[in-house]
Amino acid sequence: MAFLFRNRPKSNAEVTRSTKDLLLKLSEEQRPNPKAEEELTRNLQQMKITLQGTLEAEINQQLVFELVNLIVNEDLLYLLANNIHRLPFESRKDAQIIFSSAFRYKQPGYADPEVLRHVIQNRPEIIISLCHGYDRRESALPCGGVLREALKFDAIAALILYDEPSPDGKCRDLGTVNPDLPSSGEGVFWQYFDWIDKSAFEVSADAFNTFRDILTKHKQLVATYLQTNFETFFTKYNYVLIQSESYVTKRQSIKLLGEILLDRANYTVMTTYVESGENLKIIMKLLRDDRRMINYEGFHVFKVFVANPNKSLAVQKILISNREKLLRFLPDFLSDRTEDDQFIDEKSFLIRQIEQLPSTPIPPSTPA
Amino acid sequence: MAENYQVLEELGSGSFGKVYKAIDKTTGAIVAIKHIDLEDTNDELADIQGEIALLSTCNSPYVAQYITSFVKGVKLWIVMEYLGGGSCLDLLKPGPFTEAHIAIVCRELLLGLDYLHTSGKIHRDIKAANTLLCQSGQVKLADFGVAAQLTNIKSQRMTFVGTPFWMAPEVIQEAGYDYKADIWSLGITALELAYGQPPNADIHPMKVLFIIPKNPAPRLEGDNWSKTFKDFVAHCLIKDPDRRATAKELLEHKFIKRAGRVEAMREMVERKQMFDAHPESTTHPKYYEETMIDLSPRSEQDEWIFDTVKPGTVATRRHTAKRRKTARIPSTDAAAVASMMQKMDLNAAPLGTVTDSPIPEARRRSSSRKSSAATAIRVSSGNTPTARRVSNVPKQPLGLDLSFGNSPSTVRHFKRVPSGERRPALCPNPPSNSFHPNPQARTFRPSPPNSAHPLDVETNNENEPPALEYPPTPITKDALYGRRAYNKVLDSVFQEAYADSGSPHQRDAMGKLQQAWAHLDQVDPHGEFLLLKAMVDRLQGDSKLANALGIAISPAPTPAKHNTKASETSLSGTTIHGTGTTRLHRSNTTTQSVTKSSSDLSSTPSVTRESTPFSTPLSTTSQSPVKGPKLILAQNNPHLKSHRRRQSAFVGGEKIFGAGLDDGRGWGLDEKKLPGHVEKGMEQQGLLADILYGQWIQGLKSRWPVA
Repeated sequence: MAFLFRNRPKSNAEVTRSTKDLLLKLSEEQRPNPKAEEELTRNLQQMKITLQGTLEAEINQQLVFELVNLIVNEDLLYLLANNIHRLPFESRKDAQIIFSSAFRYKQPGYADPEVLRHVIQNRPEIIISLCHGYDRRESALPCGGVLREALKFDAIAALILYDEPSPDGKCRDLGTVNPDLPSSGEGVFWQYFDWIDKSAFEVSADAFNTFRDILTKHKQLVATYLQTNFETFFTKYNYVLIQSESYVTKRQSIKLLGEILLDRANYTVMTTYVESGENLKIIMKLLRDDRRMINYEGFHVFKVFVANPNKSLAVQKILISNREKLLRFLPDFLSDRTEDDQFIDEKSFLIRQIEQLPSTPIPPSTPA
Repeated sequence: MAENYQVLEELGSGSFGKVYKAIDKTTGAIVAIKHIDLEDTNDELADIQGEIALLSTCNSPYVAQYITSFVKGVKLWIVMEYLGGGSCLDLLKPGPFTEAHIAIVCRELLLGLDYLHTSGKIHRDIKAANTLLCQSGQVKLADFGVAAQLTNIKSQRMTFVGTPFWMAPEVIQEAGYDYKADIWSLGITALELAYGQPPNADIHPMKVLFIIPKNPAPRLEGDNWSKTFKDFVAHCLIKDPDRRATAKELLEHKFIKRAGRVEAMREMVERKQMFDAHPESTTHPKYYEETMIDLSPRSEQDEWIFDTVKPGTVATRRHTAKRRKTARIPSTDAAAVASMMQKMDLNAAPLGTVTDSPIPEARRRSSSRKSSAATAIRVSSGNTPTARRVSNVPKQPLGLDLSFGNSPSTVRHFKRVPSGERRPALCPNPPSNSFHPNPQARTFRPSPPNSAHPLDVETNNENEPPALEYPPTPITKDALYGRRAYNKVLDSVFQEAYADSGSPHQRDAMGKLQQAWAHLDQVDPHGEFLLLKAMVDRLQGDSKLANALGIAISPAPTPAKHNTKASETSLSGTTIHGTGTTRLHRSNTTTQSVTKSSSDLSSTPSVTRESTPFSTPLSTTSQSPVKGPKLILAQNNPHLKSHRRRQSAFVGGEKIFGAGLDDGRGWGLDEKKLPGHVEKGMEQQGLLADILYGQWIQGLKSRWPVA
């Protein structure tokens, strides 16, 4: 691509301004504009090289500092996030690198990623826009990559979880969020269910990865959130994800459910979940699915119901009325997993538990 | 999504699933579609996604183009650009590359690597097998199964992945490495293309892991390579990654600068196609398979990928070397053969034992050696029989016959053993075989050769279900003939022809044919015999061919008469078909073959009579060889070609027989041993066996409706 550099490279200020203008132009025009795209491509490539260097050349700290500040001042990231799907193929990857480099940027000697802090405090819309990258196949992967890197910070997870639609399109300030108030179910987080369930495989899979990161990276935050929004969350989780038509979505979400429930931080969420007879029914159906890996992942949720020493009346009722069936079913359940010692042990444990069930449900001693 | 594609033939299969050729209905473009059965992969959904994510961010003429992917049922369909030229490893089968071709491949690989490296990707498994070609010669990087996407191009990786022989020392030492690791692998790949295999290929992959960091970097040696080429390799293979060149720098190297146009690679593609067209079309084109096997290395052994390496490069060499030695025996030790012929009696027939003849002795020895070699492969390559077999089989010239039924052991167990796992065939009752119902079962009796894939045997033991006590087929008369023809004639003929083949690819072709035939003999001597017979019949039908082969026959001759006549004409015959042998042959050499065929003729009535009882109820099963029409070989049929070769080789193989004996005597002696005589007493037995066999086949049929 030597021809791209034949001209004298633009200064940081020039390149930032030019990129901003071009992005604005591109977002307004309906028809493709090859000339603008070409220049944009060149600009983004130059910015990328300034920010991360090349295989041969090191970065210039001074220039990086300058460019990062210009990007923030011109609010370029917001424009980029909204228009990433309009960029040419290679430029989308460059945009992703510009995002990650900016988010990761720390001034030498400081521990604080200042661009990211700026985004969280003043421009949370960027994060929401990045989530909306899942609306399109073109933008899904670059946006997802940026998001997952940013999700190392709990503030980003909080921004996504507590997002609420507002009349002015402004994002909420995290300082004003009251974690005890249930979510309306309208914020960006809830759209992940649709992105996962309805998108093409690549988009769905990437959205699921981000979804998983949101729910597993910051335990305390998520535990609080799930307690407050238990009904909304698990209703959606059960009906959209666990019972999804898509094999991949179904299988991955059962697995994630198991991970969430068995996480210590989510103890309260888990006990609430396994009290529900409805939940147990859904999971028991998974054991009879004709796909073996669905059976297997389902087993790891089912075992939580059975192993729970304080089973609710509803759960006891279902288990007792199915006792004979279960005792016939379980010994042969996935019996070819002969190598899987943990599975074999757990299965025989469950069988014993079911054998020892009382003949009629008894109220749990200490209701959880 | 799936409706958008019309799936055509299978291109190959591996542990992960199958690859199909398909047509995109909207554009009409030909694509390759990988079907991954997600139910079979345990926890690797995330890995597969990662690979797709990485692939989908590549858009370069030097990288195999990803098109899309979607889930249908429990299968993931990955749609990729169709690359019909095969992998460089495939293209190496006819022989090493020339320097000019290597330069082109290296340049294209460097362009691909430069693209990957500048976008923060490390391929981590550069080798000939992962370098694919279009029909038009373009070279593309493929198989991103272990590739890494770095968030920062400067960051390093620690993960120990790749294929040992091609691994850079810093990858093995696990002290952190970067994109330079690919440059090392490129250097090894250049050596692979030049030598036909990577350095240290004869050493166990585990041991290689110690050798690479310890030994000095390999160098290209030999007078037939230019200085610049040697210099290029030396620049790639610098043990210190910091001093090793980058892809950009290497693109400026003289060796690369003067490389020719990529269109020249078509020569390699065409060479391979010629090579494939030759031996047998029993293996239908499987361009993508090698790749695909590699593509999912983690599905079987996480980070280790031994299986693609070891069998192909190492085993082959060993086999050929040993093989040639044994192959010479019949031709050099003419007296021994003659004495064997003299001593022939009933016991020496296919089902008997010959203990005092030197030949079987030699065979037995070599067979045990061979089987241990096979075991070694097995150990190193993990446990995906399908995957390995596909990459394995074509590369073992002349490997099969000895370990299977051709050792003169008394009892021939009619056990279908996957070719990768030969040892069990030697012991009477392989314990490890479990019963696997398999649709492939219908190939039990190979239908006409062009539809059967003798090399593609699946792990099924058709013989398991019903009575094991009697292996029924060998008892049928025709099976006896077939076995006999193989043991007495074809086997040694193949070996001779093999030894006489000039170029490596000729030899390889002959080896494949021989192997396929050995398999046919193992599985279905009955069919084998009928095939032979049909061939001879039809050849006789064509007067020119018959003359040339010396088997010209008047419609209803008495065998003995025409034999003598035929032998007169045979002197000239061989050269015409002499692809395998160019020797002159003495006239009596043909007599034997003709005798066989003519005695076949004489037994024809009984054949038809016998085959009716069981072939009628089983018309759908693999009885097809019996039926005339299916055996018709078109004149341009490759089987016919190979048959001609065989015919000529045939003659070559037998000539020793005559050397020690005068015609009449040898002839008379031989006639007593001919199946025709034996079979008189066995007629009823054969009938009985056929009925039993028929029942047994029916049992099989009910088990596997497909059969």
